[in-house]
Amino acid sequence: MADDNTPAADNPYTQTHVVQSGDTLSKIAQKYYGDASLYPKIFQANRDVLSDPNKISPGQKLRIP
Amino acid sequence: MKKPSFWVLATLAAVFIIACQNQRAPAEQAVAAAESALTNIRDMATRYAPDQLQAVDAQLNGVKDSLAKGDYKGVLAAMPALNTAIGNLKDTATAKQQEADAASAKAKDAWGPLSSDVPKMVDAISSRVDILSKSHHLPKGVTKDSLAAAKSSVDSMKSTWSDASNAATAGDYTTAVSKGQAVRDQASQIMQSLGMKS
Repeated sequence: MADDNTPAADNPYTQTHVVQSGDTLSKIAQKYYGDASLYPKIFQANRDVLSDPNKISPGQKLRIP
Repeated sequence: MKKPSFWVLATLAAVFIIACQNQRAPAEQAVAAAESALTNIRDMATRYAPDQLQAVDAQLNGVKDSLAKGDYKGVLAAMPALNTAIGNLKDTATAKQQEADAASAKAKDAWGPLSSDVPKMVDAISSRVDILSKSHHLPKGVTKDSLAAAKSSVDSMKSTWSDASNAATAGDYTTAVSKGQAVRDQASQIMQSLGMKS
């Protein structure tokens, strides 16, 4: 099994979120973790598609570790 | 009534003894053949039909007792039933072994997807539990109790999964699948309770 906090990119059991208009990583973190300050967890899990935590686009499919 | 002469009695005794000796070799050969037949299937019978084997062993021991007592006629009379019992035992054990082999092959097929999916499920849960443990508030639908339950379940799931993997390595796919499915069911339930299923 992989180390904690390092879900494999191809793990089909890692939850996903499709970015909607008006979404931010903080809002997404609030929704899934109840705590907006945990947005870096989502950013780190999606470094292959995100280069800046403040730049996400509607339609992007993000992994929620 | 005239008393039989010594020579008549001696002749009758000699005939009796010769008759007995004539049955001795066939009786010994028949018992040896039955023992050999039973030895050939003993391992399989011990595993798949132990009760029936015990009954046949008792039957064989009875025949061997008769042989030891010189009751060759009794031995030969008992052999057909003993041989039939050994044949039936072989049939039963063979059928049960085939059933077990088929079940094991089926379990081996089921193990493939399980061995791929379950570790990923547990990893996903472990990651989420770790992050939620750092959260100041829990998301809608997730309670402190469900998070605590998930936390305590992660270790037990990993332990059970380790047992399942060891069983598979040892070739016991039936046990491996049973334990693997239990972990998968538990993981699925936990993912539901943590809101991980969209």
